[in-house]
Amino acid sequence: MGEVHALLGENGAGKTTLSKILTGLYRPDEGEIVLFGHAVEFSSPRAALDAGIAMVHQHFRLVSPFTVAENVVLGDHRDVGRSFLLRQREIEARVGELSQRYGLAVDPRARIWQLSVGEQQRVEILKALYQDARILILDEPTAVLTPQEAEALFETIRAMAADGRTVIFISHKLHEVKAVADRVTVLRRGKSVATVPAADSTPRSLAALMVGHDLDAGRRPTDRGTVGEPVLDLAGVCADGDRGVPAVNDVSLTIRGGEIVGVAGVAGNGQRELAETIVGMRPLTSGTVEVCGRRLSGGDPREAISAGVAYVPEDRLGTGVAPGLSIASNIVLKSYRAAPVSTGPMLRFGRIRDLARGVIDRYDVRTSGPNVPAWQLSGGNLQKVVLAREFSGEPAVLVAASPTRGLDVAGIETVHSYLRDAASTGVGVLLISEDLDEILALADRVAVMYEGSVVGERDVETATVEELGLMMAGAGGED
Amino acid sequence: MVNNSLIVVVLSSGVLYGTPLLYAALGEVLAERSGVLNLGVEGMMLMGAVMGFWTVERVHGPTPLILAASIGVAALAGAVMAAIHAFLVITLRANQIVSGLALTIFAGAAGLSSYLGNDLQLAGKPAKHQFQEIFPTSWQDLPVVGPIIFGQSLLVYASWVCVVLVALYLTRTRLGLNLRAVGESPAAADAMGVNVSRYRYAHTLVGGAFAGVGGAAFSLSITPQWVDGLTQGAGWIAIALVIFAFWRPTLCLLGAYFFGAFTALPFALQGHGVTVAPELFQTLPYVATIVALVLVSSRAARLRFGAPAALGLPYVREER
Amino acid sequence: MRIERRLRQPWWLVVVVPVVSVAVAFVLSGFVLFLTGHPPLKSFHRLLDAAFIANGALSETVVSATPLVFTGLAAAVAFRMNLFNIGGEGQLYAGAITGATVGLLIGGSPSPLIFAGMIAAGAVGGALLAAIPAILRAFFSTNEIITSLMLNYVVALIMEYLIFDSHSYLRDTSGFEANVFPQGKTLSDKASWSSLSIHGLVLPLGFLLAIGVAVLVWVLYARTRFGFEVQVIGDSARAGRYAGMRTRRKILAVMCLSGGIAGIGGASQIGDFRHQLDPRGLRDASYGYTGIVVAALARYNPFAVVVVALLLGGLTNAGFTLQGADFPAGLVGMMQGLILFCALGGELFVRYRVRFAW
Repeated sequence: MGEVHALLGENGAGKTTLSKILTGLYRPDEGEIVLFGHAVEFSSPRAALDAGIAMVHQHFRLVSPFTVAENVVLGDHRDVGRSFLLRQREIEARVGELSQRYGLAVDPRARIWQLSVGEQQRVEILKALYQDARILILDEPTAVLTPQEAEALFETIRAMAADGRTVIFISHKLHEVKAVADRVTVLRRGKSVATVPAADSTPRSLAALMVGHDLDAGRRPTDRGTVGEPVLDLAGVCADGDRGVPAVNDVSLTIRGGEIVGVAGVAGNGQRELAETIVGMRPLTSGTVEVCGRRLSGGDPREAISAGVAYVPEDRLGTGVAPGLSIASNIVLKSYRAAPVSTGPMLRFGRIRDLARGVIDRYDVRTSGPNVPAWQLSGGNLQKVVLAREFSGEPAVLVAASPTRGLDVAGIETVHSYLRDAASTGVGVLLISEDLDEILALADRVAVMYEGSVVGERDVETATVEELGLMMAGAGGED
Repeated sequence: MVNNSLIVVVLSSGVLYGTPLLYAALGEVLAERSGVLNLGVEGMMLMGAVMGFWTVERVHGPTPLILAASIGVAALAGAVMAAIHAFLVITLRANQIVSGLALTIFAGAAGLSSYLGNDLQLAGKPAKHQFQEIFPTSWQDLPVVGPIIFGQSLLVYASWVCVVLVALYLTRTRLGLNLRAVGESPAAADAMGVNVSRYRYAHTLVGGAFAGVGGAAFSLSITPQWVDGLTQGAGWIAIALVIFAFWRPTLCLLGAYFFGAFTALPFALQGHGVTVAPELFQTLPYVATIVALVLVSSRAARLRFGAPAALGLPYVREER
Repeated sequence: MRIERRLRQPWWLVVVVPVVSVAVAFVLSGFVLFLTGHPPLKSFHRLLDAAFIANGALSETVVSATPLVFTGLAAAVAFRMNLFNIGGEGQLYAGAITGATVGLLIGGSPSPLIFAGMIAAGAVGGALLAAIPAILRAFFSTNEIITSLMLNYVVALIMEYLIFDSHSYLRDTSGFEANVFPQGKTLSDKASWSSLSIHGLVLPLGFLLAIGVAVLVWVLYARTRFGFEVQVIGDSARAGRYAGMRTRRKILAVMCLSGGIAGIGGASQIGDFRHQLDPRGLRDASYGYTGIVVAALARYNPFAVVVVALLLGGLTNAGFTLQGADFPAGLVGMMQGLILFCALGGELFVRYRVRFAW
């Protein structure tokens, strides 16, 4: 009680699965849960909530058109608002009270889609507090926050612990775990490996437990190959978001062949829209996009593809790949129009199969065959397929958006090595990522996006995390 | 006399013809708000029409009681049909569009409703008990408001009450909030302990019940006989109506009477001696539906007043 | 009850499940018959007899099946890309109108020319009508289910108007009865489509044409770039766009193809069977809606469409032959609906593995 306990492990170690079992979303196959001295079994999320366990997921479970208050009170069957009618004012008052108490500033009347990601997270926490959760599970909460917002979150966590609540903090970031936790349990490959007091551990000792061997963390030396001509030139690019409001404001950026340029920033500041604009999936409202000197009219993916733009989208399964189709079909997703994949209007299935087998072998994709539907592949293997396909087109520019999201260490390594290989063959790589560490490890230059504009550009060698963090929060940088 | 003018006649008939649309649309709003697309409305209305008529024919008793019973039976018939659809799409995760169509074929004209109507010999005679106007004739003769507001039957007035109730339900009650969450983001609702399946079942069945009552409005008030396929596509218009009304009950009222007026127009014009081929005028409600739908589907409209986000998608908890 | 997505779909499951569904549907129909006082086994026997076994029954079944192959293919072609074209009914009417018009206009030319003309006219009529919901969907994001459906009612009313309320070219204005009993003008003998006779089984030109269309559709969808794009867009429209596919053009192409096929079905109705524009007959037959059932049962496979069309055609044919006081009207629609329900429910077992926890 009143403890902040961290669950540490790399992606795929089982942290999220464990927390889903604790909150009634999954059923355990074996074993038991003992809560406050009683063995319990949760048949549904409601059962877990009733028992006092609440979770803030990595992907928020919020109803976008609802207000903050409506989200907080959803499904509630306890004191305030238990009655049949909704008592708006009472609910809003209570929400306001809670947000004051724990430092979670947010307007109860605001609609979720109007809020920033950090504010949405506060709503998620308020939901748990409203239901008077005794145990709160936070799943990778700082992934979507600026360094400064993360600090504020730690304050909130300490306040909750001081109140006698228990916080389980899931992360793979060693320094955070050290900063906020009392004790740490390390998971590796689904098993609990050790439980140690945070005060006694160092990032290095924790990392060793996580991976099972000594790991050399830190920045890798970048191979500075020769940097060539500009392959991607953005000048004054503006584009609208899904709601018709401008999402990309006057972005200018140049990428040369052979270099990796990172775009850092908290999710929701226009990065996704920028990527989509470059590759033609979103129309330009003004400005120019030039690929190897050729000006693109925008809004046409085929034009971008033929100009030599490759795109590894954030949404692997829904956009980068047609999930119901076979791996083979997905491999030829962009190349099916020309020889050797097709002759005239007819497809050549023999060639497709051969190409697919070649990719599977060369990139070590773990699967039982080229006809397996894509949705069955694991995240890492899927990403291999996507990358393989994009490279086979011999692109001039590669736009990669959050390419390592949800991958385990091996998968992340693979993706990083592909990106470096691409750069060494002269491709200009635009790496969009929410993980500042990743950008610092890979990129030559980093541009920070905030509210749709690039608020600063730095060379990675000389940039500092504090400076970048301030820019990500809109507080630093030049205009 | 102003009450005989074209406008008044069209408006008062518009209310009459719009009533089945309103009932069906209200039901569909509830179903769709839970995320279930129900295309079987036409079939449910036809079942309600035939079973309501049957009750009136075969059960003996005082008129008000019989009419009440027939509405109950019609609602039940609609709900039973909806239960089939609900089972298929919620529990068995079938494609909601094909399932709804299957229901229309199964229960529709040349389907179960036709089978029952012919087997039970319900054709060719007017209903023994009908929904009549309830206000005294002196009130009905008041200028303009007379025919339009006071010249309607209990079914119409009940539909107004229903609109208010459904609107309040959606916006002011806890159940309504949960319902809207289920339709927008079943994952969020589930994580908050709301039983997604249960809400979907309940509201699809209620939707079917409303559709059944809408069908009974035809056989017990408008036509008022039983004929095979007497709804003539009203169920489909009701579905379009829901989109046109941005899933809001109050706008359903306006939309229903709007389309009802179009349906009434050819007959009203004939009554005024306009001799134009009736068929061409009869296309008006359908054409109006298409036009309305296009306007509503424009990007700007969709951005502000979209469909429940999870409409048409089955929800499976363990599927990622 | 636990439901898990299957990783592999054994090929036999895809055949067994629809067959079992049909069987279950028959059992349920038998139950309904029993409850309403009609002896089920005897009714089914009469059904089977009237559909396939009796003298000339099979030829009659082919007659009933021909339009269903067209409308079934039309639905399958569109539904494969998640375009729910419910307007097959109206597109068939449109093809009938244009086909009949051309058939009357060039009624004096040599027969092959008339056939070609009618087929082309039918295809164009259906395609043009389908273009309306296609354009509305591609450019205005308007739901094609409702727009195509509304147009069914509109075209049906236009057909009625042409024959019953106007003095159009299509109406038979000769003869004394013409004003009292309106009907369509009869096409010339040369415009009567030929047929192939094999051992007493008569295969109308329309049927043969339908099979040809089925083959073409199969090749198009399974072997060409066009088909690949349809597959991708049907699976994930976003992925299609990502890959540079022209989704709007595809929507137009697929809808018009769908409408065109249904339109040829309409022309076949005129040329093969009715020889005049018969609005009431076409409306009562509901070929378009039944075609959707056919397509769904066939799981959108063109060859399966032919088989299922024969099955449902047999059912329809039996319905006509047996119509009367003994044999309940509406039974055919009910059975079709039941078969479809069972097939839909059966889909679950194809895609998922179901485990019951006791």
